[in-house]
Amino acid sequence: MHRLPTLLSGIFLVFLTSWLGLVAYPSLQLGRLTPVADADNGGSLPPTYGGQAIAGQRIYATEGCISCHSQQVRQTSITTSDVDRGWGVRPSVARDYLRDSTAFLGSRRLGQDLSNVGVRRPDAKWHFIHLYHPSAVCEGSLMPCFSDLFLVRKIQGQKSDDALNLTGEDAPKDGYEVIPTADAKNLVAYLLSLRHDYPLPEAPVKKNGAAK
Amino acid sequence: MSDHTLPHHQHESGYPPVDSKAIDASVRLPVIILFGNAIHWLVVAALLSLVVSIKLIAPGFLGGISFLNYGRLAPMARDLMLYGWASQAALGAGVWLMARLCGQPLGGGDGQGIGGMLLRTLIISATVLWNLAVLLGTLAIFAGYSTGVEWLEYPGWASAMLLLSFLLIGIWAVLLFDRRSTGRAEVAQWYLVAAFCWFPWVYGTANLLLVWKPIQASAQGPIQSWYCGSLLALWLLPVALASAYALLPRLLGNHLNRRHLATLGFWMLLLLGGWNGMDRLIGGPVPAWMTSAGVVAGVLFLIPLFMISINLLGMVRKRAIVAGSISCRFLLMGLYALITVGVIGAIASLPDVSGAVRFTAFTEAKTQLWILGAISLPLFGLLYESLPQLLGRDCWSPVLSGRHYILTLVGLGMLVTLMLLGGLFTGLALADPTVSFLNITSYSYPFHVMECVAQLLLLIAALILGANITIALAGDYLLNKKTGK
Repeated sequence: MHRLPTLLSGIFLVFLTSWLGLVAYPSLQLGRLTPVADADNGGSLPPTYGGQAIAGQRIYATEGCISCHSQQVRQTSITTSDVDRGWGVRPSVARDYLRDSTAFLGSRRLGQDLSNVGVRRPDAKWHFIHLYHPSAVCEGSLMPCFSDLFLVRKIQGQKSDDALNLTGEDAPKDGYEVIPTADAKNLVAYLLSLRHDYPLPEAPVKKNGAAK
Repeated sequence: MSDHTLPHHQHESGYPPVDSKAIDASVRLPVIILFGNAIHWLVVAALLSLVVSIKLIAPGFLGGISFLNYGRLAPMARDLMLYGWASQAALGAGVWLMARLCGQPLGGGDGQGIGGMLLRTLIISATVLWNLAVLLGTLAIFAGYSTGVEWLEYPGWASAMLLLSFLLIGIWAVLLFDRRSTGRAEVAQWYLVAAFCWFPWVYGTANLLLVWKPIQASAQGPIQSWYCGSLLALWLLPVALASAYALLPRLLGNHLNRRHLATLGFWMLLLLGGWNGMDRLIGGPVPAWMTSAGVVAGVLFLIPLFMISINLLGMVRKRAIVAGSISCRFLLMGLYALITVGVIGAIASLPDVSGAVRFTAFTEAKTQLWILGAISLPLFGLLYESLPQLLGRDCWSPVLSGRHYILTLVGLGMLVTLMLLGGLFTGLALADPTVSFLNITSYSYPFHVMECVAQLLLLIAALILGANITIALAGDYLLNKKTGK
């Protein structure tokens, strides 16, 4: 180990083991997973994202949602708490992330897991209010207000259909309304599309679970 | 302070004596620029970490302004710790140690020739590029251009700048190994060569597959985990260990015994280091064998860590020597932190434990202990030893150095203990689905409050180090001015 070529080849070979296992293998195997047919409606699983949801993924990335939210339901052999808490009807598998541009797996849960937030909270209006002021709908939440994703503007003519239904301290002044920006709408579209409640060959959904 | 200058040969004969003064003179400017910038990023990172921890007890603090949200500040703080501070300090340490251990002034000769000048300019330019990339990358996260990939949040162009800058410095360091005039290679040199080869490989692969040309997301999880594990265990840790292997024998006035233990430890660390990040995927959306590999690697990783620590700690004979050298104390504390992080990692990768504590502050405690303990403490040790040699005089204020040492250890110890306990409580509570998530959040409040205090201590420690090095460098400047150099 006193000559550079000897040392370098040793280093190279040893390093290759983890590189092959954790980079090359996933790239070749997991990177080539394909969608499966959806027997119910002739579509494919996992379902594709709509245009708004794709744009919303960017907001999810740039706002750093991953700092506090994971997107993975763990195998029940490791812990049942993820499924028991209603974060998903089945554990996440690699194929679930097929349509994502980035796999937002996350490493810390200062907030709840979001892999199935679209199933749990299917109402866009709830998400808008929650983003605008989290504690208004979740008392004691650590989540910061994303009020920058909203506009406060003077009501012109009729109140906008998009206007948030805010009460108490959050309510805007008389004659004003709070409406979501395009970024907010895209982000919420993305959150609503986070639904992994469909069965996959490697991850079946139990009948009673699916009814949830 | 430096009657034990580097390198110090007991076993070599027939090689020309090494002129360490000429070597130091030849690398002085680049190394000082690297260290200086690293410390200023450390201060910024510590400040941001404090703000981030305050946000966990008062979510409204600095609220309502998108670019000051937790989701942006937290990755900024983490990346500044990794790339602004630790990686840059490791580069400085690597350049200085490599030149010293290889017995070669920059560019050969006496280091003051045209080759030396060119290389110095090259390394300094690369350093400027590195800092520009860190600055712009940080601002990009701030302005909402984060990639959303953990630890790789910098946009693709910023990470390309980092990689280029690294290559400009790293290639020189690796080639130097072949031109050393000191005969038999030291253990520290193996670690340095390995580290300098790995960073480009790890960072390049991860950026290519996750940022520049993202691979299908179903394959991204293992690559992300591999990156996080490798960055710590195969780039930063080897430099920290190289510092310990190079300096401890000299500081303790003792030989490194059991070289076979060092060899075995080295190769095992390399072999397992890349798998070490897999505990981040236990139970996750990956093939089952990867989960098993994560558990096995997490436990086995303890073996090389123990070998290396026993190897190095075996040199400690006289407590008085340790007590008298701030550098020695930092290096040894770094080793203790490394053993602790290994034990925590092994426990945390047991399936039952992982099931409970993964995603809680427990995991974060491990990461903090890695970065601020096992990696930063030895780098501080190297800094305290190298700067006086580079400047040619005892430049540190002993009072400030002592305060920095105490506050760093107390702050780090407090932070890690709180996070471990907080994570454990949260983990146990999470296992019971009848306890609501918001309820669990309220349990962690007291831990979050105390974590702010710990982060404040770490910030004060970083500021003291900043003041110490500013005084040292300003003193040097004034001294040179007086003597008309």
